[in-house]
Amino acid sequence: MAFIDIDGIGKTFGAFQALTDIQLSIEACEFVTFLGPSGCGKTTMLRTIAGFITPDAGTITVEGRVLSQPGAALPPELRQMGMVFQNYAIWPHMSVFENVAFGLRIAHVADAEIKSRVARILEAVGLEGLARRHPGQLSGGQQQRVALARSLVVEPKILLLDEPLSNLDAKLRERMRVELKTLQRRTGITFIYVTHDQAEAMALSDRIVVFNQGRMQQQGSPRDIYEQPANLFVADFMGLVNRVSGEWCGPAQVRIGAHVLDVTSAAAIRIGAVTVAIRPEALLPVTTALEGQNLIEGVVRESVFLGNIVDLCVDIGGVELHVQADRWCTLAAGDPVRLAVEPAECVVMKNE
Amino acid sequence: MGQLIAGSLRGQRFGPQNLVLGLAILVLLVLVAYPMLWLILGAFGVPQDLTLDNFQRAFTRAQNYSALANTLQLGFGTGLLSMAFGVSLAWAVARSDMPGRQIIHLLVALSYITPPYLTALAYIILLGPDAGLINRLLRDVFGFSLGPLNIFSMNGVIFVISIHVFAFTYFLTHSALKSIDASLEESAQMLGARRWQTTLRINLPLVAPAITGGVLLSVIDSLALFGPQAIIGMPAQIVFLPTRIYATISSYPPRWGEASALSLVLVAMTVIGLGLQRFFLERRSYVTIGGKGVRSQTIRLGGWRWALLAVCALVVAMSAAAPIGVLTLTAFSKDWIAPLSLSNLTLAHFGTALFSDQVAARGIYNSFRLAAGAAFVAMAVGASIAYLDLRTNLRGRNVLDYLAMLPLGLPGTVMAVGVLLAFIRLPIGVYGTIWILLIAYSARFIPLATRSVSATLRQIDASLEEAGRITGSSWLQSMRRIVVPMARPGLLVAFLLVFIPAFSELSATILLYTGGTETIAIAIYRLNDLGQIEVVCALAVFTIAVVLALSAMVHFLSRDRTAPSEGVG
Ligand SMILES: Nc1ncnc2c1ncn2[C@@H]1O[C@H](COP(=O)(O)OP(=O)(O)O)[C@@H](O)[C@H]1O
Ligand SMILES: [Mg+2]
Repeated sequence: MAFIDIDGIGKTFGAFQALTDIQLSIEACEFVTFLGPSGCGKTTMLRTIAGFITPDAGTITVEGRVLSQPGAALPPELRQMGMVFQNYAIWPHMSVFENVAFGLRIAHVADAEIKSRVARILEAVGLEGLARRHPGQLSGGQQQRVALARSLVVEPKILLLDEPLSNLDAKLRERMRVELKTLQRRTGITFIYVTHDQAEAMALSDRIVVFNQGRMQQQGSPRDIYEQPANLFVADFMGLVNRVSGEWCGPAQVRIGAHVLDVTSAAAIRIGAVTVAIRPEALLPVTTALEGQNLIEGVVRESVFLGNIVDLCVDIGGVELHVQADRWCTLAAGDPVRLAVEPAECVVMKNE
Repeated sequence: MGQLIAGSLRGQRFGPQNLVLGLAILVLLVLVAYPMLWLILGAFGVPQDLTLDNFQRAFTRAQNYSALANTLQLGFGTGLLSMAFGVSLAWAVARSDMPGRQIIHLLVALSYITPPYLTALAYIILLGPDAGLINRLLRDVFGFSLGPLNIFSMNGVIFVISIHVFAFTYFLTHSALKSIDASLEESAQMLGARRWQTTLRINLPLVAPAITGGVLLSVIDSLALFGPQAIIGMPAQIVFLPTRIYATISSYPPRWGEASALSLVLVAMTVIGLGLQRFFLERRSYVTIGGKGVRSQTIRLGGWRWALLAVCALVVAMSAAAPIGVLTLTAFSKDWIAPLSLSNLTLAHFGTALFSDQVAARGIYNSFRLAAGAAFVAMAVGASIAYLDLRTNLRGRNVLDYLAMLPLGLPGTVMAVGVLLAFIRLPIGVYGTIWILLIAYSARFIPLATRSVSATLRQIDASLEEAGRITGSSWLQSMRRIVVPMARPGLLVAFLLVFIPAFSELSATILLYTGGTETIAIAIYRLNDLGQIEVVCALAVFTIAVVLALSAMVHFLSRDRTAPSEGVG
């Protein structure tokens, strides 16, 4: 049995099905991210784990104890979890020190110990010297750290974070990403993290769980999810992708217009129309193809120099492919081009 | 599978959250729903009978019929006057470069804050047919033999009520005018529209719903104002629905059924008015789209601004300065009939009013404790209902919210009839004690507290409370350490918003008080009947001073209510 077992969780708000049959196991010390577009149910799932929402179906079990089941949920204060809210939820009527000390006071920890523990955690999140400040005097990044310190000081086993970086500017977001990751490694706390930003999810997570419309689409390591998306939604959501219509024409071959590509696929039945997903950076402009690679011939329609890459639009006979070549590529509009692509990069999916 | 958690859930069902909120629901039902139920049952003759006779009598008995007709006439008259006063002043203050706009605005607020029965008393002193100060002045100057103005008339009632209720029209129109961004007008002007064309084709359609809504609110309020209707209407033998209901219950034996039926008629008028008002104000929504950063165009009037100021000054002089002035003057005069002179000044009436007169002193004491009690109950219930509505997913919570808003549509007289019917037959014996007043006041003003706390609670994000829960504090601890401290200024405002009207409440009190439970309003009402005008005025000045000080406090608190949460996510 895993550390956290989420078994068949479902939740409806009125007639609206917010979560459907969520099935997930999380190991201790894991960094798991719920990723998906806004409104897909990530926050609902996180709040169900926290005990703010009682599920309509399924159970949540932590270390063998059922915490949530249909119609019943252990209240949040008894779950020994921490949570960082999207808006930080720093109490404006308390100083930084009092904010962080809150959980310890509730737990009747002795004053002297509160002092030392708060001081230690403030130092850990880089807020030493700001204990007496009031939240109104803090920047967004500092408030973020207070929120972290406040949930970490009580030493929870599980920390829930709901889009904690979404209110920060881009630079600070990058830095906090690194700090969060370091913090998680150092404390060994299980992080369950919610975001709609796939780059953030990939940078942070041991495992990503992709949500869409209240359903789990796929779970796996960042690389798995990026390279082997389970469906078109995941492929799209994880980054730019070419979606090309084709047709099975062999056990591991799909015809696209005039070209026949060797592909990889998990599909059992290999006949009929399909969609092939190919990432733009997997298409390499070449002069000669290597053994085993697919070769696609076309004409450059457009070429845009973007600094680190060159963005190409290549016509392969009625179909346009988006190609990201390296910056030494000098192809211009009108040039003929040959594109090489590994069969493993051609992921075949059912049409939707 | 691990152990189930049904046990801890059962603990929750009777946990403090459900106890506190459940208690609030119970109080709300007892205070509002239960009397309303009895009002309706009573109108149908229950418990003795089940009949429609009462309604028949309500419409056919001559006195009832004329009360109904008078009430409609009153509503119509106050509607017209409110529109005339309210719209012109609102335009002058919101859009023109008239001097003294701030002062005019404050004086309109003052006319609204002054309890209307005190304005009525002031106008008896000013415009009484024989001894009225203005009448005497007019007689001296122009040589009339009597009159010439008589406040004891239908026009008198309409006038006195209008100078109170026009404030609704004023405030709604003012805020609508303020929320029209100048760019809307400038666009019209760029297209060649002249000033008057812009006003007619752009401004008027934009604020028309606000004007209509404001006038309706003025009318609705005027129907329910027992004080002026009784103080001016009764001597003139002009009866309105509230005074008619009062008479029906004060008759011997009291005709409960008929009074209930008349009450329902009054409620129906109010509810129709409120429904219309809501309809018009909802259409107004496009005005407020501009939001905060609205820049409004000021219209330069040149020399005309002094003429406009004269008009506005006349209106606020009638509505605020003259009545408060004359009450104050009379309170300090040995004899109000005698001409103004230094030798005629005295503080003695305040001594009488505050200390030596038994009824007055008891009234002050009762009003303070009743207002404080009702404010506390209404605030607690209002806070719980607002919390239930905003923070829980309890089924039927919008019904509760509606119930908490219901008394807004109930004139004080009607509330009193309902409370009487409901509690007179209970064996707990609250009738004839101060408790029945506490019940009526709390019920009547729960909407004010609910609305106010609701606005406060909306500013406190739910996550602040949830952060407390997940950090290990129970619901009660989160309330005590997070929500209540943050909401404290808002709760205080809610408390004051109830305290202020409860302190000077007359229309429900008059039906519910007995010897020993007189309030300040009753003391004023009764001493006025006894002709002790100077003592009445001293009490009036005291009341206005209290109400004014507390209103200023509300204003002050509301202004920086948002300050503590500034800069938070
Ligand atoms: N308390 C609620 N009542 C009704 N609908 C809700 C409630 N909470 C969330 N929803 C709906 O459920 C869906 C998922 O919301 P949420 O979990 O917040 O999405 P996100 O993935 O953006 O965090 C949204 O469509 C939202 O409107
Ligand atoms: Mg969310």
